[in-house]
Amino acid sequence: MHDTLTIAGREFGSRLFLGTGKYESFETMRAAVLASRAEIVTVAVRRIDFDQRGEDITSFLPDEVLLLPNTSGCETAEEAVRMAKLARAGGLPDWVKLEVIPDPRYLLPDPVETLLAAAELVEDGFTVLPYVLPDPVLAKKLEEVGCATVMPLAAPIGSGRGLKLRDSIRIVVEQAEVPVVVDAGLGAPSHAAESMEMGASAVLVNTAIARAEDPVSMANAFRLAVDAGRTAFRAGVMEEEREAVPSSPAGGRV
Amino acid sequence: MNGRPQELAPGETVASLLARLGLEGGYALVERNGEPVERARYAEVELADSDKIIVARPVAGG
Repeated sequence: MHDTLTIAGREFGSRLFLGTGKYESFETMRAAVLASRAEIVTVAVRRIDFDQRGEDITSFLPDEVLLLPNTSGCETAEEAVRMAKLARAGGLPDWVKLEVIPDPRYLLPDPVETLLAAAELVEDGFTVLPYVLPDPVLAKKLEEVGCATVMPLAAPIGSGRGLKLRDSIRIVVEQAEVPVVVDAGLGAPSHAAESMEMGASAVLVNTAIARAEDPVSMANAFRLAVDAGRTAFRAGVMEEEREAVPSSPAGGRV
Repeated sequence: MNGRPQELAPGETVASLLARLGLEGGYALVERNGEPVERARYAEVELADSDKIIVARPVAGG
C-alpha cells in the first residue's frame, strides 16, 4: 500500500523536507538533497548583491523537487506577504513556507502576525505552510484560515536540541486535520524518527545535515530515520508499562 | 536598483535590463516601485529613470 504524503492535493513520496542553508558548497547541498530523496526543498529570497553575485542555487537543485520559498527575514505580516508575492510573480511556486520572526536571538515566530499573513496569502491563492510554535489553538486557527499544513518547531532553529516541545507537538498532531511537519531544532536522526513515531506527517531538516561532518551520509541517515519512524507509527507503537513484563515464560523453569 | 543608481538604455524593459546584467536565466524576482512584476510581463514593462527597482533571487535557506 502506498503511503504518500498529500499536501494541498499534491502527492509526495518523501516525508523529509530539506533546507538548503549552511552547506559548505552548493555541490554538497545537491548531493545531500539527492541522498535524502527529499521532494520539497526550501530556499530563502534575498536581494541580489551585484558586487558579490555568486552562483544561482536553483541550478544545483534537481528539477523534480518542489522549491518552497520561505519568508525568512520578515518581521511582520506585511513584509512576509510582500516577499511571497515577489517570489510568485518571479516564477517561483505559489507555495510558501511562512515565517514571521521578529526575535533574532531565539528566532521564535510571531503567532499573531503569522496568522494575519496566512489568512491574506491563502485568500490570494497561495498554498501556505506556516512555521509556528507548537500551540494547538494557533494550529487550529491556521487550519481554519486554510493553511495547507502546520509546521511546529521542535526547538529553536539551528539548535539541534531535538523535541524539546514534544508534549505540545503531540497535541498539535492529535488535533490537526492538515499534515503536521515538525520543523526546526532536530539535531539527530533519532529526533526525526521520534517525530514520525508520534504521528507527524513529515519533518524539515537543515542544519543537522548541512553541519554534519559528512552531510551526504547524514542526509541518508535522516531518510532512513523518517522511514523507520513512519513505519513504526503505522505499525502501532506499544503502550508503555510502569513495571517489567517478562518476555519469557514465568513457569517451567529447569 | 537595489538602492543604487542604474543607467537605463533607451526603451529599457525589465527583460532587457536583466539580460544586460546577465540575469536572463534562472529566477530573477523583480519589484518595481513596491509592486511585484509578473515574470510573463518582463519583456513589456518599460522602466523609467524615477523607478525604484529591487531585484532578488532564491538563495540558500531553511
